[in-house]
Order: sequence, then structure tokens, then C-alpha cells
Amino acid sequence: MSDGMNRRRFLKVLGVAGGGTAALSGCSTDRVEKLVPYLVPPQDQVPGVATWYASTCGECEAGCGLHVRVREGRAVKVEGNPDHPVNRGKLCSRGQASLQGLYNPDRVRGPMARTADGWEAISWDDAIARVVSELGSVDPSRVWFLSGSETGSFGRMIDAWLAAAGANPRVVYEPFAYEALRHANRTIFGIDAIPHFDFANAHVVVSFGTDFLETWLSPVQHARDFADGHAFHEGRMGKFIHVEPRMSMTGMNADEWVAPIPGTEALIALAMTNAIVDGQLATVPSDISRVRGLIDAHTPDAVADRCGVDAETIRRLAREFAAEASLAVAGGVAAQHSQAHITAQAVNLLNYVAGNIGRTVRFDADQARGASRYQEVARLASAMGSGQVGVLFTHAANPVFASPAASGFTDAYQQVGFKVSFARFMDETAALSDLILPDHDPLEQWNDVEPRTGHHALQQPVMRPVFDTRQTGDVLIRVAQQMGGGMASVTQAATFKDHLQGEWRTLQQRLGDRRDFTAFWNASLQAGGVWADAPAQQVRLATGASSFTDVPVWNAATGENFTLIAFPSLAIHDGRGANRPWLQELPDPVSKITWGTWVEMHPETAAEHEIHDGDILEVTTPNGTVSAPAFLYPGVRPDTIAMPLGQGHTSFGRYAEGTGANVYSLLSGEIAGFGGLSFYATATVVKTRGHQMLATNAGRSRQMGRGIAQAVLLGELTGEVEHEEEHADHAAPVPEHIEEVLDAWQESQYEEMEQGDYAADNPRWAMAIDLSRCTGCSACVTACHSENNIPIVGPELMRRGREMSWIRIERYFEGGEHGEPLETRVLPMTCQQCTNAPCEPVCPVYAAYHTPDGLNGQIYNRCVGTRYCGNNCPYKVRYFNWFDFAKEGEPFHAFPEPLNWQLNPDITVRTKGVMEKCTFCVQRIRAKQDQAVLADRELEDGEIMTACQQTCPSHAIVFGDLNDPTSRVSQLSQEERGYHVLEGLNTRPAITYLKKVRNVAEA
Amino acid sequence: MSGHPGGVLGAFRQIDAATDAVRELKEMGYEDFTVYSPVPNHEIELAVGHKVSPVRMWTLLGGLAGVTTGFWMSLWMSYDWPLVVGGKPIGSVIPYVVIAFELTVLFGAIATLAGVVFHSWRTAKPAAFDGRFTDDMIGIFVPCRPDRRNAVKSLMESSGAAEVRLEA
Amino acid sequence: MATAAPPQPTTRPTYADVTRDVFATLGNPTKTWYILFGFVLSVLAVGVIALLYQVRMGLGVAGYTPPVMWGAYIATFVFWVGIAHSGTLISAILYLFRSAWRTSVYRTAEAMTVFAVLTAGLFPLIHVGRIWYAYWLFPYPNQRMLWVNFKSPLVFDVFAVSTYLTVSTLFLIVGLIPDIAAIREKATGWRKKLYTITALGWRGTDQQWRHYTRAYLYMAALATPLVLSVHSVVSWDFAVSIVPGWHATIFAPYFVAGAIYSGVAMVITLIVPLRKAFKMERYIRVEHFENLSKLLLLTGMIVAYAYVIEYFIAWYSGNPFERASFWNRAFGDYWWATWTMITCNMFLPFFLFFQKIRRSIPALFVLSLFVNLGMWFERFVIIVVSLSFEYEPYAMGHYTPSWVEFAILAGSFAWFFMWFLLFAKNFPTVSITEVKEIIPLPRKKDAHA
Repeated sequence: MSDGMNRRRFLKVLGVAGGGTAALSGCSTDRVEKLVPYLVPPQDQVPGVATWYASTCGECEAGCGLHVRVREGRAVKVEGNPDHPVNRGKLCSRGQASLQGLYNPDRVRGPMARTADGWEAISWDDAIARVVSELGSVDPSRVWFLSGSETGSFGRMIDAWLAAAGANPRVVYEPFAYEALRHANRTIFGIDAIPHFDFANAHVVVSFGTDFLETWLSPVQHARDFADGHAFHEGRMGKFIHVEPRMSMTGMNADEWVAPIPGTEALIALAMTNAIVDGQLATVPSDISRVRGLIDAHTPDAVADRCGVDAETIRRLAREFAAEASLAVAGGVAAQHSQAHITAQAVNLLNYVAGNIGRTVRFDADQARGASRYQEVARLASAMGSGQVGVLFTHAANPVFASPAASGFTDAYQQVGFKVSFARFMDETAALSDLILPDHDPLEQWNDVEPRTGHHALQQPVMRPVFDTRQTGDVLIRVAQQMGGGMASVTQAATFKDHLQGEWRTLQQRLGDRRDFTAFWNASLQAGGVWADAPAQQVRLATGASSFTDVPVWNAATGENFTLIAFPSLAIHDGRGANRPWLQELPDPVSKITWGTWVEMHPETAAEHEIHDGDILEVTTPNGTVSAPAFLYPGVRPDTIAMPLGQGHTSFGRYAEGTGANVYSLLSGEIAGFGGLSFYATATVVKTRGHQMLATNAGRSRQMGRGIAQAVLLGELTGEVEHEEEHADHAAPVPEHIEEVLDAWQESQYEEMEQGDYAADNPRWAMAIDLSRCTGCSACVTACHSENNIPIVGPELMRRGREMSWIRIERYFEGGEHGEPLETRVLPMTCQQCTNAPCEPVCPVYAAYHTPDGLNGQIYNRCVGTRYCGNNCPYKVRYFNWFDFAKEGEPFHAFPEPLNWQLNPDITVRTKGVMEKCTFCVQRIRAKQDQAVLADRELEDGEIMTACQQTCPSHAIVFGDLNDPTSRVSQLSQEERGYHVLEGLNTRPAITYLKKVRNVAEA
Repeated sequence: MSGHPGGVLGAFRQIDAATDAVRELKEMGYEDFTVYSPVPNHEIELAVGHKVSPVRMWTLLGGLAGVTTGFWMSLWMSYDWPLVVGGKPIGSVIPYVVIAFELTVLFGAIATLAGVVFHSWRTAKPAAFDGRFTDDMIGIFVPCRPDRRNAVKSLMESSGAAEVRLEA
Repeated sequence: MATAAPPQPTTRPTYADVTRDVFATLGNPTKTWYILFGFVLSVLAVGVIALLYQVRMGLGVAGYTPPVMWGAYIATFVFWVGIAHSGTLISAILYLFRSAWRTSVYRTAEAMTVFAVLTAGLFPLIHVGRIWYAYWLFPYPNQRMLWVNFKSPLVFDVFAVSTYLTVSTLFLIVGLIPDIAAIREKATGWRKKLYTITALGWRGTDQQWRHYTRAYLYMAALATPLVLSVHSVVSWDFAVSIVPGWHATIFAPYFVAGAIYSGVAMVITLIVPLRKAFKMERYIRVEHFENLSKLLLLTGMIVAYAYVIEYFIAWYSGNPFERASFWNRAFGDYWWATWTMITCNMFLPFFLFFQKIRRSIPALFVLSLFVNLGMWFERFVIIVVSLSFEYEPYAMGHYTPSWVEFAILAGSFAWFFMWFLLFAKNFPTVSITEVKEIIPLPRKKDAHA
């Protein structure tokens, strides 16, 4: 600009003026704030305008694509990348909480070395020099590297690095490594791979304990596919049968829950296979003769008693399975008992006879991801234990915590001469190390991943590193350079980014892309990666399949003993989520418990032992004892108890330490036939005198006939079964002539409010939530926390019901008593934005009012805190700030530095004493409206997405303008299944729920 | 005690003595005398013969002002910045009745009190006083020229005054 | 039991006796008074500290457990507003009904009213999240260019409670003026100055009485609908909401009756020790207690009727939410609170059908304490128990008050008694003028006899 005031100059002035103002306004605070003026503004940052970067989620192996929203140089929200084939714009809770990994206040802030009395901060040069000197002084055969799953260039570079150093091959530790599945695929099909499971095209899904909507393989993708394949649509829907002694969240979504005697799933799968083969329900491939003897031996009648499921049910399941495109899945940690590979083998046969291999089970897209089997980790442990390990590097693995205490890993680890950790957090393994060289967070680093064959996804730094950390790839390059000799040839590149680009040049050639590399690279970065499909593969029974002749089952517990199922937590996973407060405070989809470990026990069993919710139980297995409060759950067999994994950290930061109990310590270190661990154990339970109120957000788990979460039978919708209205919020219907008078009166009331802005032609924002799609995964809850700066309150306040989450997934049980089948219903409950909102007129200061576009606005600054609105809200979706959650030094401060960097600048951080609530992400609505005005165009339907809708993996939430009859939300609201919660109160909510549809014969 | 004109101050123990004295004083043409009593007394009131206190107009006007203010304020303020709450009309008369009612009472009560103060002040006459008049005696003070004081004094004594004294 | 009461003087007091006896209650306090006052101040200090702690930390230090967003504070607010009611009832309504027995107790009742409203008025402030912005509830031209929402029952409350405080204070002051004038003549020292000023130049002239009696009548006429309205308005805080257990048309009369009931009980609680300490047996006689206890019985029966009707309507309406709410009241988590309330307010008053009880001051005193307790629990049950069990089963919860709430509750009693003790020692707690009014003035024929 010619007048000398260009943008850079303006920002310079702004920065200085900002500093000056802060210095002058000394009366407000004595503390000198650290100011970072924009003296040299980055090229692509405009204050107030968000920048989005594509990257890849590093929270689990699924490799979902990310779009990271960056404001003023800080990542403030993580969303799914809509162009990414794995997650198509959706993200689970854990993926969104990656932001709290980045900003975790308990990150290792720089390189540290162990001294006699603790840790000492050292420089990077010193740290690297120490590594070089240790490496130089030890025989290469005594050097080991233990990493987490790394499927891309970085993993390959470590391998090359180790090879150049002459060290041992890398050991990859993932606690959930799908060993049984891979073992079964090797045995039955001769392929050591994990296929892609196509839930979208399966009309009948049978899951043998697989929690495919929670932690198994690629949950976000599964949730979307499952909803597409299963949800009610135009008169049709799929059927899902879940076979597991415990009803997991995935099981909650089943139309039918079959609870076999623990460990006998293989028998059911084989009996179904038998029924299909026997009844010629499908075109059975001829090579099934290899296992004919096995199949013939397992007729439904033969197995019925052993597995506790009657033969007729098995036959019916087989008929249903064979009749349509189907898919059976086996595995998952919660089904990983010592004979889990047998289950997987039997399920492979079931899929095979039903013709699913190559259709819904596709081996071309391998998802194996290269994790070692646990037995290799055990080999490393025994090498360590016998003093044969001189230097051990660990990267992104925490076996000291996430392996059974009985495996002896912890003791063995301490025998290692020099332990180098690249941990980002002071986890249990890092805490025992000699040197910590903290790695960048995945959101700060360059990397790539290959979650399945043909999918190459890029990770790029979305902001400058928060702390003095360094990418491990760069550290390894530096070490190699300093070691010299053969190691210098590991890479020609000076930095890991260069190395990565080198790899991508090769990839580009392999893909036959003819563009200039910069164009290819930039396009890939922008898209998040490049995707190609692997060629289809013909799969037949392997010759080894004939070795599958007998079916040993896991020894079911007897007498006073229970079968203990250690299941993975949807939020905490194997334990790595435990230091993310969002995940700690995310109510478990099943138990609705936050911040801790619990013991799930059937209410009948509990009644026998006089155990109530919250009684502290001592659970003892041959390997250890753990105390945790009881949670009475009708979704677990009376002879079984279940506990979630991942809590009970002794070192993992403030949010993880001292929260819950470590269930790994109950597991056996014995390696099962498939080379992995068993997550089942035989346990005894002793009730102690202790009692603890459960930190749950659930009031009552029964609907009391109030029709909050409604369901309808498929037959009722298709007219095969007579329709019954199940909710009873009115004793008798209002007669029609009275209804007319009331409506006329209501209309006259509405006419009288057409004043000022209200007289204009406004939209009416509304939502439709399809309960036949909602799985209860709670990703929306985390999205809402992230978008709306919702503080976490901690376990103490959770017990007092003072959670702040604006959206909650209500979980109700139906049946499950007196021999009725248990049905679970979930319902996302958030502000209903009622037309006749009961909360509004009672506010004395207009803090709650109705916006012209139909929102139930809440003006925080105006709120005095009478909480009358909260009382008068029948849906209980208003949340009060009992404390100053956002203020430093307060007892419930929710955003300790740098966690406050995650805050969305578009939203106020609320102070104590005010009421807050969902407003359909009004900031997003206004932003899109403003954009449309600036571009002089009309808003399109679907353009505005609320945070919950944006992330919902199963597309259960639709948002839009109800005044536009063509909008999706208008059309869905007209559906036959549509209803409003507590309709009889005449609140006229803007949220229409579409009833869950149950594909069962009768209720 | 100065501040009051000279006259005769009589103290009575019996009520009928006092009312007799009042009547006779009125017959003699005295109008501006002051009667003290420890309690309000209907007989004295009749004897003195006051008209009904104009304070009631204050109450009425105060109340009317209150009801008007109540409705005007709530309606005007509602339309001044129209905000819809709960799907109700901007100006809803029914709930505003409460406001109007409360202001009626408030304004009425304050106006009544103001009325008492105003009229008591307006009708106050300088007169001699004795502390016993708030205890157990009825007092009558008749302002009169010194030459007529003895006549008044004897009138009071004959009516049954317990004590009569001349005030300078 | 009647033996506990001192012998009743049989001769009628004279005007001079009244002034003398009432004046004797004033003056320099005794040691007992100082001990009591010191105790009251220290309890108040605890309450104030608890409040400051709450303001500093946030409302979370109270026991609130959503969905119970209102708890002990609002219960105590309603309790104190209720206490206030009998004062105005006795002073205004019974005045209009020319009920002579009111004269010796009405001043205490009226003072109790003012101090109870003064106490009650604190609680809406204590309970809001941002007490420092509580003035936003008043309609004033603020920089936000925004007025208050006159549709909100809380704004009704602001108007009702502040009007009630103003009018009952004016009423008390107006009633006090002739009395202060009477004691002015006997007082000495600083008290003389105080009474000279506060008597506002009262001499009891014919003109003064002329305006005064009219004004008192009109104020009584205004206070009568006011007293009925205030607790009706308070009841609408609940009745206009949609909370099951709150949303009932019976609430206004039910609350008014309950308010008078609790207020009469509090009057008895206050007068029994006061009468003893001030040796007022000659003026506050057993007949007064009997009349008060008849009032207690009457209002108690209305309250009992309301309780029964509430349950009946809950059943008869067929509304499942209402039914569930009342089932929960009687047999849910808070059954003990409900049954405390029913026992104290519904069953114990039946003893008042016995004249022996009505005339036994110790028995009445004990009963009045139970009624006070029961009425606090009534508010607790209505507010807390209803809120804990609303529409959404998933959002049902359980609330228990915290130590902060108990400290502030105790502090509120201390605050009330602080005012009362100060008042009792400095202003006549028995109306000199009105007690005199019911004693005939001597006539000439009496002197001859």
C-alpha cells in the first residue's frame, strides 16, 4: 500500500499498542502477562480468520484424516477430513481429544536425564551426545528399539537405522494387536493380514464380541458403514446380532443380544456354519471339505448346552445370516480370551460358507499395520531380564503400564543398561528411563501413515511446537550423523521432513503420477494424502485349515468364581487417553461412569451378594487384586463381571494419576496360542465396607414409561405388526376440538410477538436426530466440549451431578428383567430450542430469550444466576457454573496452561455464577451467515454444521432451517418416526427425534 | 416554653369531663383550641367535630398513580426492546397485573403517609403541651387573650378538669 | 400445666400502668440480653463468613446437585416470607375486623414481620450466582439499554417483597409514633433524644389523631390485600413453572395459609419468652395465647386440607408426572422430609382441639417450635423434592445441603434475632396506645363512686 500502512505495519502497531494498553491498565491485574505481539506475522495467518490444515490422526492405528482449525497460530479444533476415505470428515472422541495431547500441561517439556535424585533438564546437544556415546560403547546386538505402531516412513526409517547400526529388529508394541485375528487368517486362509470389513454392504451383521464401534480397527469408519448398512431407510434396515457375554456399546446397538457362556463363541459360529452347510442355505464352496469333519461335529443341537444358547436360536441366526448379504466379525479385546483365535477361525469359516469373503470381507485392503505379536515383546522382556539389553529405545509405547504385571516387563525393563525414551508424557515407562528425548506431538510433526494398503496419509505440523521437543526422526538422523560410519547412510536427508519428501518422491513414481513433485506434494498435503485401491485378491481355504479340528473353549469359571472380562475403554483405549481430561470426563457409553474404573455386575448376582451401585469390590485373580466400585449392569451375564482397561496410572500426568485402578494387573502374562495375551481371567469378588458414589451423569436408567427414547419395531413401520404408542406422557389424548382451540390461541400468541426483528422473514434452526443411526459413541460430546470451551469439572463434581457438557448421551435400559431380553436405547439430549421455551419467561433479566431465528439464546454476560431457567427446563439441558472453572488458581480450574490454548476464540469462556447451554453452535451459524452476506448469496442447506453434527460418525444428526420446506431437516421432521421428547408439555422443541427401529419379530 | 401563644391549658382525667369542656368552649365561640389525648377517641372527635380527614384522597390518588405506573412501565419497557420469551406476546397484560397491583399498594401507602405528614403539618397549631397527655390525661389548650383566661379556666374547672393552668 | 404460668392479675391496668409497665421493658439491657446478643452476633458472623466464602468460591460450595438448582436458600426465603405474614395479618386484617385481642400482641408480630422480610430479602441475593449483579433485577435505565422481564415471577418477587418490606415498615413506624411520644416523656439521656426525633413531633392533638386514624385505616386496608398477595406471588415462583409438584393452582391460597400458620407459630415462639422476660403477663394473657392457637388451628387445618388436596389432585388429574412426583415425595429418597412436614404441620395441630393445650403456654411453645420446623421442611419438600424428580428420568438427582447452607441458615436466624433483640430493648414491643384503647377512659361517675 502506498500510504505506508500495510498489513505488516498495522499488526506491528497493533502488537505494540496491545502491549502498551496492558502496561497502562495495571489496575486490573498485578501479574505481568506474557505478550506475543505479531511483529513478524506469518504469511497465512489473518487475525480472526481460521486457517485449516489437513493432517492425520495419531491417536490410534486407524489413521483418520484431520482438518485442524488454527486461529492466530494455535490449533483450536480438530475435525475429520471430509476427503479422507477412512473417516470422511468424521472423528471419534479420542481423535478430537488429540488437541489435549498437544496442549497437555503434563507433557515432557524438553530433554531430561535421570540423576541420582530425579530428573535434570539438559540441552538437545547434550542429550544426543549421550545417546551417541552410549550407542558407541555397547555391542550392536544389545541394542533394541520398542515402538508403537508406525506404518509409514518413520517406521521404515527406524528399521533402516537399526539395520545400519546392526541392532536387533524393531519390536512394535500395541496392547491391542489383533494377534488372534491374524492367526486365524493365517490358519484358515493362509494370509497374515487383517482384511477390510465392509459393514455398509452387510444387511446382517453378527459380531462375536467385536467392539467394532468402539476400539476395533477403525471405529469411525465402521460406525459410518454400520449406520449406512443397518439404519432404517425407506422401509428397510439391516439386522445386527451381537454375541458376547457382556453387552458392549457395540452390543447396545444390536437388534438381538446373545449372551453365550464366556469363551464359547466359536461353538456358535461353527454351529451356524453347520446349519448353513447342512441346510444348503448358501452356495457352499467346494473346498469346505477340508474342514467338513469339524463342521459336521458341531451341530446346533450338539453345542447348545455347551454355549448356553438354544439350538433353535442358532438355526434361526444361521438362516438370517445366509439369507442376505452378511458379515460376521470376531475379535476385539473384550473377546480376546485364550482361545480367541479359535473363535476367529470359526468365524472365518462362517463368512466363508456364506460367501462373504471377497464381498464384505476384503483381504486386498490389509489393515495389519505391522504390530508385533505380544510374544515378541515377551522375548524382548526376557532378553532384558537376563541382562542382554544394553540400550533400549522406546517410542510411543508404554508397556510398563499397558501389559500384565504378571508378565514381568517392569522388572525386566529396569535391568536394561541405558533406557532412552522418546515419550511425550512422563508415562510409567518413561518414568523408569534414563534419558527422555520428548517427541513432537503428532500435530507438530511431519510423518505419514498407511492405515491400510494403498492409503497413504500425511501428517504435517499445524503449529509451532508448544515445548522444546524434537521430532524423533530428526533425533535419529542427528544420532546417525554423529555416529558416522555405516549409520550415515541411513538417509541422505538433513531433516526428517526431507527424508519424508524423498519417500514421497518414490511413492509418486510408484503411483505413476507425472506432475512436478511440488505440485504432487502440495496436493497431497492439502488432501491429507493419496488414496489408491489395492488389487482384488482371490481367497481360498488354505491347506493349513484342515488342521483346525478341535474346538477348545476358554475354561468357564465355576462356582463362586466369575469370568472377568477386561474390556477396552472407548475413550481411554489401552490407557493412552487417560491424561486427556475430555476423555476422562466422557461418560462411558455403557456405564456412563467418568474418571475411574468400575466392576460391571449383573443386578441379580449383585442382589445375591447384597452389592449395590458404588460398593467397593475387591476383585482377585491369580495375578492380583484390584478394588473398584460396583456398577450393576443388566447387560452382563450373571456369571461374568467386566472391568474397563486403561485407568490406574501411577505416572501419566495430573488427570491420569490416581484415577481408577489398573486392570492389566489382573491379567495373566501367559501367552496364548495365537501369540497374544488373554483379556479374560477367573476372578473372585469380595465386597468391602467401602462405598463410593459413582461419578456418573446418569440419574435413572429406566424411562419410567415416559417415552424419552422411543423405539418402534420394523414390522410396525412396514405394517406387518400393529402399531402401539408406547409413551404415556398424557393419560388421555386431548380431544380434537380442544386441540383446535388451543392451536388457534397459540397462533394468536405468536402473532402478538411479531415485533421488531421478529417480524422479519427468519429461518427457524432445527435439528433431526435419527436414533436408528445414533450408536451412543459420544463423539459429539467431545466435539461440543472442544467447540464451545466447556470446562471439565473433575470426578468430585461429577458425583454431584455438576457436569458441564452441553450434550449428553442418555442411556436407558428396557427389559432385561424377569427373563425379558435387555434392550438399550441411547438418545443425545441437548437443548431442544423450544418455541415455547419454559426457561425463557422465568428469567428476570432476559438472559434467556428467543432469537428471531428460533434459537433459545443465552446471554452469559447478562445472567445473574437465579437458575430458575434450569429448574423450569423439562429436559435439564442447562448447566450452571458452580465455580470459576476458567480462572487460574481456582480449585476447579479446567484449563491449566497451555490447555487454555485449546479455547475457541469465537466463544466466551464463562465465569462462575452463570448458566450456560447449547445454542446450536450459534457462532458457526453467524459465521456462515456472515460469509453468505459477504459473498452476496443465499445459505445452502447443510452448509451450517453444528459441532456435534459435524463429527457424528454415523450421520445421526441433521441440522438446518425448518422454515425451508426443501431442507433435509424439514423433510426428516415430517417422517413417520419423528417425535418430540415430552411432547405433551407443548414446549414445541426444534429437535425432532426419529424413533429407533428394532429389527426383531416382537417387542 | 415559648413558641406558642398564651392561653389556658387544662388537663382532664375523665373523658366526659373533657368532652363537656370542648362542647362548652365551642359554644363560647372558641375554634382554634387543641385537644390532646393519649389514644384516639371517638367522643373527642365528635365533640370537636372535624370533617373526615382528606388523607383518603392521597391514598386514592397514590393508588391510581401506582396502577397506572405499573401497567405503563411494564408495557412500555416490554415494547422498548422487544424480546420474545417462551412464545408469549411481547406485552402480556396478565402477568403485568401483579406489577400494577404491587405498585398500587406501594404508591398508595407512601402517599397515605405523605398525606398524614402533610396534613398534620398544615393543621398544626402552636399550643402548650404537657407530657402527661401522651400518658393518661386529656389536655385542652385554649389560646386566648389574658383578659379572658380566667373565664376559660373556670369553664374547664367546672367541667371537671383535674388541673388548669394559665400559660403565658 | 397451667401451674407454670404466673398468676394473672385480676385488676384492669390503668393508662398510667400501661405506660409505666411498657416503659419498664426498655432501658439498659440486662446481662442476659448481652449474652444473648453476643451469641446472636457470633452466629451471624459464622453466617457472614460462610456467605463471603460462597461469594469468593462460587455457588458450588453449597450443596446444589443438578437438577436441584434451588435448595435450602429458596426454602429459607419462602420460610421467612411466610413468617412475615402473620404480623401483617394480626396488625392489619384483625384491625379491620376490630378484633380487640390483637392489641397486646400485634406490635411484636409487626416487628417480627419487618425483620422476617428483612431476612427473607437476603436469600434471593444469597442464592444467585452473581450476587454483585443482583441489582440488575430492578428496572432502571442501565447502560445495557435493557429492562427487566416483567413476565418473570422473580421480577414479581422483587416488586412484591420490596413493596411488602416498605409497607410493613411504614405500618410499623406509623403504629409506633404515638407510643414513642408516650415514652419520650419518661425517657432520659440519649434515649430521650432518640425518641424525640423518632416521635416526629407527635403530641396527640385532635388534628393529628384525625389524620392518623384515617391513614392507619387505609394503610391497613392496603396491607390486607398486600399480605395475601405477597405469598401468592411467592407461590407463583413455583406455580407458573412446569415442574411437577409445583405446577398447581392451589398454591396461592395454600401458601398464604401456610405462611400465616408458620407466622402465628413464630409469634408464639417469640411472645412466650418475651412475656416472661418483660413481665407482660398482665397484658399478654392466656386468652391471647388461646386466640393465637385458634388461629394456628384454623390455618393448620387449611394447610392439612391443602396437603390432602395436593395428593388427591395428583392422583385425580391422571397426570403421570404429577403422580410420580407425589409418590416420590411420600415414598422416595426424601420420605423423611415429607413425613416430618406432615407430622409437624398436619398431625400435631390436632392437639389444639383440646382447650387444655390451647391454654398451656409451655405446650404451645413446644408446638410452635414443631410447626416452625415443619414449615421449613414444607418448603424444602416442595422445592427440593419436586426438583429432584422431574420429567427426565436420566436427569434425576439427589441434593443435600452443605455446611455453607446450614451456616447461612443459622446466620439468618441470628440476623433476625439481632434486629428483634435491638428492637425489643429500644422500642415498645407491646403497643402502649392500642392497649390503652381497649381500656375505657374514666368517667365522672367513676370518680364519684
